[in-house]
Amino acid sequence: MKKDKCPCRKRKRQSETERGSENTYFIPGKAGYGRGRPGKYLRILGVLIKLRIQRLMLFRLDFLAPFFVDGSLFAVQILAFDAIYGNVERIGTWNRGAMLVYIGSFSLLNAVSMFLCFFGVVRIPEKIRSGELDLYLIRPVSPLFYLSFEQINPGSLPLVGMSLCMIGYGMWTGGLRPVGRQVAAYLFWMLLMAVLYYDMEVLMRSLSFYVLSTSRMDQLEEASLELCMKLPGTALYGVYKLLFYCLLPYGLMATVPLQSLIGELSPVGGTWAAGIVIGFSILTAVAWKRGIRRYESASS
Amino acid sequence: MGATFAKYREVALVHLKCQLAWRADIMFQMLFTIGRILFAYLLWGTIFKGKDTVAGFGFDGMLSYYIFSSFLTQLDLSPGISEEIHNRIRGGTFSKYMVLPMRTEGYFVAMEAGVVLFYLLFDLIAAFVWVAVFGIQLQVTTDTGVAFCAFLLVVLGLLFMVQLNYYLGLLTLKYQGIGTFLMIKNNLAALVTGSIVPLVLLPGGVVEVMRLLPFYYVTYLPSMLLVGRCREEAFPGLVILSLWCLVLQALIHLTWEKYSRMYDGVGI
Repeated sequence: MKKDKCPCRKRKRQSETERGSENTYFIPGKAGYGRGRPGKYLRILGVLIKLRIQRLMLFRLDFLAPFFVDGSLFAVQILAFDAIYGNVERIGTWNRGAMLVYIGSFSLLNAVSMFLCFFGVVRIPEKIRSGELDLYLIRPVSPLFYLSFEQINPGSLPLVGMSLCMIGYGMWTGGLRPVGRQVAAYLFWMLLMAVLYYDMEVLMRSLSFYVLSTSRMDQLEEASLELCMKLPGTALYGVYKLLFYCLLPYGLMATVPLQSLIGELSPVGGTWAAGIVIGFSILTAVAWKRGIRRYESASS
Repeated sequence: MGATFAKYREVALVHLKCQLAWRADIMFQMLFTIGRILFAYLLWGTIFKGKDTVAGFGFDGMLSYYIFSSFLTQLDLSPGISEEIHNRIRGGTFSKYMVLPMRTEGYFVAMEAGVVLFYLLFDLIAAFVWVAVFGIQLQVTTDTGVAFCAFLLVVLGLLFMVQLNYYLGLLTLKYQGIGTFLMIKNNLAALVTGSIVPLVLLPGGVVEVMRLLPFYYVTYLPSMLLVGRCREEAFPGLVILSLWCLVLQALIHLTWEKYSRMYDGVGI
């Protein structure tokens, strides 16, 4: 988007922005309006949640659908865990309890994503291909924000609960008794990793701006998630560590929070992990913004 | 008979040629055979550090199993059929298939055959490349009879998966939205076909139940036969899977007869 060089036009836009904020959220044609205001975005988020719940209530099966889908995935994870780790007592320094916390943490990240943004983000390639992204670009709100949070799924909340139970059970069976500082560090890293998880989801879908089909990128994401959900980052080495820590950083996502919980995370490791999150956030923002510039409506 | 076969052969050939338009997909398809193999290599490499065998598998045996099962899983591209039918019925454009001068199910079977034939070569190349890259000593049965049974099971298994996905797609005529069922089916299929872990690692009771279901014979049993295990299950497996194909064919016939008239061509 070209910057306004004329001061009059800039002032005019500013005054439109200020007037608009007093009236309503959605004013077509004023795409730059109010972007970046946290208060406004919280209000929009509230409206999106309300609209979504109203819509879901019309189709009650859809309301419960994510619960059944996630529940089946969770059951598969538990059975696979039991089949694999029934044959081994420890992986590195982690016992079976720690592995349960690891899988529970990964499942929690997945569940939070499913609840908040997955079903919105997953529609980005379709919107780009069909040209429907136009409808989001003309709204006076960040298109990525709107796309991400318009499909909030309360049906995924039970999976959040199940994941928390799994984490609690793992800590109990594994004899993990973290102190308050460790719990705070764990929560901090889970929050950062939730951001990284979101970054990866958006980054994969942003490729639709540049290539015709990204269905295989979805497969790459699924394959990486499937692998890293069962295999802790501590079991990775050499080129695999580079791949799943730096290029497709799914290996970090539950490993770092668990390491912080059990006091195994070194300052260097923590700095490195934070750097990865910041780096991928910048990369995602750049890929999205450049993609928007490249977007040519229905013909892209 | 010959003319009928020629029609379906033409459909298969058209879809085989169509795949050439998606060259990036071919590359990714080959690349993704690595996912499960890498998973197996890293995970079981860690587990086998303190053991020689797990559930009768040595490390190379386990990796051989994952090579075969990954290859077979990549070959099964039938989930796209149920999604295509589901979307077409909901969008009111399923008529595209209904007006074809051939059976709709036959069209999808031929389509799958064309796509599978195309990817067969590339998946084979990928499998051999990964065997070389990971330095796996591939364990393969030397019994040609068992290998032939495994081949028949693979063909029947692919047919069964096409039938299953076609049937699930047709259920859209009755239930209007089956996206949830499809996602649950995909989640469960990954486990019950043995593509995540060999089913022999699951509790005995669970495996006994799975022996009655068709999924046991789609990926798991052919892979086990190819690594030289479960020979005694080869023939019963062929019989059970054939019976399941017949049952599903009857279900498809009944569903089509009953619900195809409900399709009004305007979408939902």
